Amino acid sequence: MKEVKVEVIGTDPPCIRCQAARKAVEKTAEKLKQSSVIVHIEKANIMSKEVVQKYGVLVSPAIAINNTIKIVGRVPSPEEIEKLIMEVVKQG
Amino acid sequence: MKEETKRTVRTAVLLVFFIIVISLFIYSRVTARPTKETFKDKLDTLGLWETPLVYLAIPALYIVDYFSHSWICLLFAFSVAGLIYEFVPKEVITKYMGRGKTVGYILALGMAPFLTVCSCTMVPLFGGMLYAGAGIGPAIAFLLMAPAANILTILMTGEMISWEIAGVRILASAVVALIAGLIVSMTPWGKAIEKEFQVANSAMPSTKVEIVKPSLDERLWAVLKFAGYLAKQILPFFIIGLIVVGYLSVFVPEEIVEAYLRGSAGILIASVLGGPLYTPTLVEIALGQELWNKGMSKGALLSWLMGQPYDFANAMAVSRIVKWKIVVTYFIVAWAGSVTFGFLYGMLSGSL
Repeated sequence: MKEVKVEVIGTDPPCIRCQAARKAVEKTAEKLKQSSVIVHIEKANIMSKEVVQKYGVLVSPAIAINNTIKIVGRVPSPEEIEKLIMEVVKQG
Repeated sequence: MKEETKRTVRTAVLLVFFIIVISLFIYSRVTARPTKETFKDKLDTLGLWETPLVYLAIPALYIVDYFSHSWICLLFAFSVAGLIYEFVPKEVITKYMGRGKTVGYILALGMAPFLTVCSCTMVPLFGGMLYAGAGIGPAIAFLLMAPAANILTILMTGEMISWEIAGVRILASAVVALIAGLIVSMTPWGKAIEKEFQVANSAMPSTKVEIVKPSLDERLWAVLKFAGYLAKQILPFFIIGLIVVGYLSVFVPEEIVEAYLRGSAGILIASVLGGPLYTPTLVEIALGQELWNKGMSKGALLSWLMGQPYDFANAMAVSRIVKWKIVVTYFIVAWAGSVTFGFLYGMLSGSL
């Protein structure tokens, strides 16, 4: 059983593309359950001090996997997210 | 098929599509394809105004007419907006923002037209400018410049109305945005916000950022998807707007437009009307074009187009960060600016 934290970083109120990114991540999480990878999805506000201090200034939607920014300013496909998560999982 | 050939084919197909769109646009310009409506003239020559059914069909006629003239332009505008959004590096703005006020203002005014077709980019960049130390001035300038001069608006203004107006609109918006930024940054409440945001250290922590670069075919596909998304957001409002414009074009007599939308009073009325009517959906351009055809002065047309200090969705998100005082300040500056430039342009172009 592996656990991965995925942060979806967007605007608040969420813009449409941020919602799309979140949906894609949720879809991936659902799928990865079967291969016993648990994805914890967290929503982060791109404008908050915490996010800026952690990652700097980003363009939404952004996605971070285990505290590393992987995607900035675009909506990835669920397949791509799956690939990225699996890479992180393999590295441990 | 192998993965690689698949990718090459996809890239080629998408590239060809964009080349066709761009060539079509250039071709339509070279052959001077008209972008103005013509359906009224057709109805005139056919003598169809007697039948009441024609009045019910006006919206449909107008929309068909409009799209038959402007579909190339719309397709081009959405494609280019998508291409720019995907390929213009957004990191540039965040990278150089902290380099002092002057650089901040230049970046804000110069980059806003390319980056801001979507609130996904605009709101974070607004906050980013504050965090990176560019200060409230450039951030406000960016916020004002963005809806007034994004790539879609510029293209549509140029194509539908005239490139002269489009150019003046960009210039006037930039000046007003700059002034608004300077004024807000001098107010006590503007300074308070600046202080609040300078606490955070936003030096790029590069260790935590490993951005995955997508391949060219994926990026081109993303361009199409983004263009589609923009069209889906904007076109419904645009069509509703066209229905209104269609009726306006038939029922509002030229005398009324000439009486109220010319001269000094015309500029004031146009700037006030333009404000609440504003949606970043190109409707104001279609409406402005129609009113202009009916005799609105150039000066009034400019303040009509500029009388829209922000778009609502972005303002909502931004007002959570800055206080209402700042929103009010830049609202007033923007309005005053639209009136001033309306007058100036009206006098200079001899169409007040």
